[in-house]
Amino acid sequence: MSTATASAPAYRLSMTQVLLCGAAIVALSMGIRHGFGLWLAPITMDRGWSRETFAFALAVQNLAWGVAGPVAGALADRFGAFRVLIAGSVLYAMGLVLMALATSGLAFTGSAGILLGLAQSGTTYAVVYGVIGRNVAPDKRSWAMGVAAAAGSFGQFLMVPVENWLISDFGWQQALFMLGCLSLAIIPLAIGLKEPVLAAVTGVQQSIGHALREAFAYPSFRWLMAGYFVCGFQVVFIGVHMPSYLKDHGLSPSVATTSLALIGLFNVIGTYAAGSLGQRLQKRHILSSIYLLRSAAIVVFLSVPLTPWSVYIFSAVMGVLWLSTVPPTNAVVAQIFGVQYLSMLGGFVFLSHQVGSFLGVWLGGKLYDSTGSYDVVWWIAVALGVFAALANMPVKESAILRPAQAVARA
Amino acid sequence: MKLRRSLVWTAAAVALGAVFMAYLRPDLVVTLANQIWNCF
Repeated sequence: MSTATASAPAYRLSMTQVLLCGAAIVALSMGIRHGFGLWLAPITMDRGWSRETFAFALAVQNLAWGVAGPVAGALADRFGAFRVLIAGSVLYAMGLVLMALATSGLAFTGSAGILLGLAQSGTTYAVVYGVIGRNVAPDKRSWAMGVAAAAGSFGQFLMVPVENWLISDFGWQQALFMLGCLSLAIIPLAIGLKEPVLAAVTGVQQSIGHALREAFAYPSFRWLMAGYFVCGFQVVFIGVHMPSYLKDHGLSPSVATTSLALIGLFNVIGTYAAGSLGQRLQKRHILSSIYLLRSAAIVVFLSVPLTPWSVYIFSAVMGVLWLSTVPPTNAVVAQIFGVQYLSMLGGFVFLSHQVGSFLGVWLGGKLYDSTGSYDVVWWIAVALGVFAALANMPVKESAILRPAQAVARA
Repeated sequence: MKLRRSLVWTAAAVALGAVFMAYLRPDLVVTLANQIWNCF
């Protein structure tokens, strides 16, 4: 292993600058993508496509986002988040414009699926968290990650009504062009995240290969990935299949709409709170509690009579727990492995999340078709939550002891 | 410092409340409801 301890950080961006720019980037990137479902009806009607064509492109987008995440993260760690963010912003704009112009299913999958998936991998949490990790002191890092995650959650919450307004006032195609222009706002914001001397702020120098071998050989990293897989499974299963579940039980569409709004509202509060708590409590305890509370909330929700109020309370509780796993999970990765390859390792953990998301959507539909209800999947979500709670308990949060350091301590 | 913090929290609460109210607007409720129902 090649190790060389660098001197104390030579350059650091100001925390306020990193937070303002990073939070705005994540809010834009997460927000724009969150309302894509609103284009389903206008695009499929205008182009004469099936819903499957639209859904397939969005499924490809999610997979591309997950698969490209580690690569985008490694590039950001190696060449600077600034460059990756600019590339991501340009890809985002191109993807949205080509999505508006696509006249075939293949072109739509290429733009809305692959291009936008790649764009998201370069403009969301993993890349921005690398800059936060390298420029915010450890005693404020979890809180700062919570601020950025809360901004992403707020972007999601905000952009649904905004995009609905754009579509209804300007038409679906113009709305996509406008969002394409908006996504270019990431470029000036990325300037605020340009790190002057990247190597100087990272401490012990490693190769990418060694960092990967080290992380995957370390049980705590695998436990974190397992937990994040469960997060993806639960969140996306509930987000996608909940409306159908409510419909099956005779609740009105407005209940589902209010449920989505409550999840969005409480998600902002939950992500910020989890990041702040990470400064005071052990992050593995926070993560275990989140997963356990999710399971408990689902059990209570399934046990009480289904009414609009039971849905609202469940939505608020799940909203608090929705993306609250993001700050502690990434903060633990930074704590264990340092910040040199934080974006890449965060990308791998997120890939696990996306695999869970895919399975949550797919199994939800598959088991509904074969059993005629969501009961089995709900209970799988409960069991997985308990598993994730247990999986996070043995996570060691202290910095990994590397050979050179171990020798020094002997 | 205390005043600045209070202002930030107030602004955040107002922003969250305003967006939440936007979700309750009839046109968005109808659109989302149609989208949700159309999907299944």
